[in-house]
Amino acid sequence: MKRTLALLTAIIMLASLLAACGGSNKDNNSGSNSSTGGNTSSNTESTGNSGGSSGSGEKIKINLWSFTDEIPKMAEKYVQLFPEKNVEFNPTIIATTEGAYQPALDQAIVGGGSDAPDIYAAEAAFVLKYTQGDMSDFAAAYADLGLTDDMVKEAGIAEYSVEIGSKDGVLKALGYQATGGAFIYRRSIAKDVFGTDDPQVIKDEIGPGWDKFFEAAEKLKAKGYAIVSGDGDIWHPIENSSDQGWIVDGKLHIDPKREAFLDMSKRLKDNGYHNDTRDWQEAWFADMNGSGPKPVFGFFGPAWLINYVMKDNVGDTFGDWAVTEPTTGFFWGGTWLLANKEVLKDEAKKQAVADFIKWVTLDTSETGLQYFWANGTMVEGEQGTKDSVASSVVMEKSNGELDILGGQNMFDVFVPANANATGKNLTQYDESINLIWRDQVREYAAGNKSREQALADFKNRVKDELGIDSE
Amino acid sequence: MHSQLRKSNAIALNINRTIIYIVCIFLALLSIAPFWIMFVNATRSTSEIQQGLAILPSGHLMRNLEILLDKSFDPITGFVNSFIIAAGATLCAVYFSSLTAYGLVAYNWKLRQPFFTFIILVMLIPAQASAVGFYQFMYKLGWTNNHLPLILPAIASPAIVFFMRQYLIGALSFEVVESARVDGSGEFATFNRIILPIMMPAVATQAIFVFVANWNNLFMPLILLTQKEKYTLPIMVSLLRGDIYRTEYGSIYLGLSLTAIPLFIIYFLLSRYIIEGVALGSVKE
Amino acid sequence: MRRRSKLNYSRYGYLFCLPFVLAFLVFSLYPILYTAFIGFTDMKGVVPKTPHILDDPLENFKNLLFENELFRMSLMNTALIWIVNFIPQLGLALLLTAWFTNKRLKLRGQGAFKILFYMPNIITAGTIAVLFSSLFAYPIGPINSMYQMFGWSNEAINFLQDKTTARGIVAFIQFWMWYGHTMLILIAGVLGINPAIYEAAAIDGANGFQTFFRITLPSLRTIMLFTLITSMIGGLQMFDIPQLFLAGQPDNSTYTATMFIYSQAFRGSYLYNRAAAASMILFVIAAVLSAFLFYLMRDRDAARLKREERRIRKAAKAASQGGVTHA
Repeated sequence: MKRTLALLTAIIMLASLLAACGGSNKDNNSGSNSSTGGNTSSNTESTGNSGGSSGSGEKIKINLWSFTDEIPKMAEKYVQLFPEKNVEFNPTIIATTEGAYQPALDQAIVGGGSDAPDIYAAEAAFVLKYTQGDMSDFAAAYADLGLTDDMVKEAGIAEYSVEIGSKDGVLKALGYQATGGAFIYRRSIAKDVFGTDDPQVIKDEIGPGWDKFFEAAEKLKAKGYAIVSGDGDIWHPIENSSDQGWIVDGKLHIDPKREAFLDMSKRLKDNGYHNDTRDWQEAWFADMNGSGPKPVFGFFGPAWLINYVMKDNVGDTFGDWAVTEPTTGFFWGGTWLLANKEVLKDEAKKQAVADFIKWVTLDTSETGLQYFWANGTMVEGEQGTKDSVASSVVMEKSNGELDILGGQNMFDVFVPANANATGKNLTQYDESINLIWRDQVREYAAGNKSREQALADFKNRVKDELGIDSE
Repeated sequence: MHSQLRKSNAIALNINRTIIYIVCIFLALLSIAPFWIMFVNATRSTSEIQQGLAILPSGHLMRNLEILLDKSFDPITGFVNSFIIAAGATLCAVYFSSLTAYGLVAYNWKLRQPFFTFIILVMLIPAQASAVGFYQFMYKLGWTNNHLPLILPAIASPAIVFFMRQYLIGALSFEVVESARVDGSGEFATFNRIILPIMMPAVATQAIFVFVANWNNLFMPLILLTQKEKYTLPIMVSLLRGDIYRTEYGSIYLGLSLTAIPLFIIYFLLSRYIIEGVALGSVKE
Repeated sequence: MRRRSKLNYSRYGYLFCLPFVLAFLVFSLYPILYTAFIGFTDMKGVVPKTPHILDDPLENFKNLLFENELFRMSLMNTALIWIVNFIPQLGLALLLTAWFTNKRLKLRGQGAFKILFYMPNIITAGTIAVLFSSLFAYPIGPINSMYQMFGWSNEAINFLQDKTTARGIVAFIQFWMWYGHTMLILIAGVLGINPAIYEAAAIDGANGFQTFFRITLPSLRTIMLFTLITSMIGGLQMFDIPQLFLAGQPDNSTYTATMFIYSQAFRGSYLYNRAAAASMILFVIAAVLSAFLFYLMRDRDAARLKREERRIRKAAKAASQGGVTHA
């Protein structure tokens, strides 16, 4: 009897603890809500409160959250270059692979306090959540950090990157990379099939538009080549050139251009236009050096695909590659930088955060991050990897010649490619929905189910997994 | 006649044995293969790995090590953290489970049977059933970046209690307990000084299982530990995989190998008990 | 007198079980109650608001049970993969147990084999996932090359695009990772069987086959129950391999119940409430299944064991007296 009582008491205590937790949650929310309302006026107030702590010689500590060591490495370089800024970074790196970065970051941002992230990074797959979606209210507007729209224009930042980083016209995130896509092809195969390897000519062979792409595929097939490695290769151009994203007005929307991917994927497979590989798997990598069943003509991808993935995989075909305008403009991947709204409350911290973000995303000088990044000079005295960067101004004065491309200057293609990409068709659910979509498309292309069935299953899975009804 | 029978028996036995050896060797090869491939891949470059499997090592070990150490992979810190968590959880699990099992076997208390049923019920709760709540709870307590939430829950390990109880039923002799009492030993001291050593084989077997599971555990640590200084080895390896656009597979395999080596050592140290085996007594004379 | 001393000591029973109970209350029961509570609420979204009990408190449960095809599918997959993995796993483990505990066989290298068979359990799921996707790679990969070498197929086979094969491979990985573990537990069970029974059987002239089925198996009942239940719970929680190896594909054929819970709670729409409700359903399933297993195996256990033992002893006695034994 006594023990039953004790157990009862324990349960009641637990229940009250539960209630208390619910209550504290509420407090948190109302707190953040009130700070959402106040902008510059509340800033000055709180600056007055915390002004005492910053003026001294103490270093300003910035909590930096990221999912790779890329940005922390930039922070090291920044501290090295500008010791007078008197900042110190406290990096937290959590990999995105197991899906842990977002829950941890969300909790840390919502939880607040001195350990809360001041600057955080978001990847293309989930950046929308932080710039336009559920977490967007926690991000500071770049304008409040003193980073104006004019500066963005002057730096020649690609439009798509700004679109993704803005909510209702208020800019909250920018990147350092530009990930506009190109078509990367084998020169020797181009000569064999089209009689030339000139990017200006090849561009008109594979595009614009998918009809021309399939004409080219037929010509390539006649000579025993595959135009791409797998259907994943054309998915990224299709995904990011569609007119609308997966969600329109809270409902699942299948953009006609995306729906056409079903047919194109099937067409590629039925006609043997590709090697039927999956992106990021062995056979796909093998196709980069031509060791697959059929030699592959090209890949769709941004500069990072060339410099980080293909470079080490092309083997003997090194130097036999070239880039040209893709069938349709698109971008693929990228990292954006956001600042926590809380930093606005502390003038010194705000300034330090703003300076760093500016150095990474908007500084077009030769000591700006992007100049190092574009030229592969992050580590002094070492030729590192060159990459396409956000600012076209920087790319214009940088050297984008690559040996893997036989000396072609990649920026000639990537500057317009970045301008052609659109950032209007992303949603915060893309990661999950794309996984379901690609799965169903593969089922249809493999002949395991009908087109209608695949579409119906896709809609059902989205509803069941994400609770989103279709239109 | 008789000898012929024995002879054919012996032949049958030999055939049997041959079949058994073939099966066992085949299974053993299957067990070794993934480790071999992991170690081989640790010596290969990323592009070599991306092009497929290989049986023979390549020459990129030092290069992979350089990349690994360059990528904020800190084997010493990782090892220390992993060890604290795995060893802590293992100690908690085996010690308190033994204690609970002893409490269940040696004493005759009113709620003994209900409590045992309760433990079996607890065993039925899938960890995922409470993962959402656990995760929110730890955040509210502010127990992130702390090793304790990864160690203390091991105190309540129902499956191990069940195992230990089975073992004790067979191995515990009440004469030993009684004579300890006659010698004036306290109950708690009796457990620590006399019973625990008796339980050693079962403790060691379970210790291996628990240690392995905790050493390789990734998801909870990944969510709860966000500070670099607190990372475990598997977290560091998963960090290497974080950059999907420029993944260095060679260094990942090296990281995985480095993670596995301490585990191997501990496994082989304790393997004596696996070879000898533990007798779980379900029958008592 | 004796009775009193027992009463005195009984408090140690409570005392020694106390840490378990405390840890359970704090680290399991509270989260479970909390999870159960969330299941009745509207708690969802990245930044969940204060949870409110839904107007229809059972809404989440109803959605899962009656509308959510994906959840039902995930339960089906889990059950299927577990059964396909567990039956051969137990079979092989029993076979190995019989071999390794058979004194007449005098196998050499037993220790090494035991150590090696458990080893797949040591390696992380991530490594195994990568390894198997390499093995079954399409269109070029080791298994495909093998098929072509032996002339089993002229074209490359996309193994992982086929639902049955994909499930089969996941089940195989589970089987392969766990049979060593199961074997070690079963061996422990056999070592605990009273040797006198075996001696009696040997005198009786029972062959290895008979000994195993008449003595070993019946005596292993409790341990088998333990194996069955722990494996079932493990099976219900199957996550790492299907997630890392195939991400639930193709066509959700390897999408398991815990993958469903995980992606509900930590991805996409952050439907904590639905994830919590699904967790509770999973718990109820586990409880019902275990109750069933107990009913099947445990109730009659002790009684039957005793009867069995007596019967064997009697039989052995009869045999030693020169009588004819029959089944």
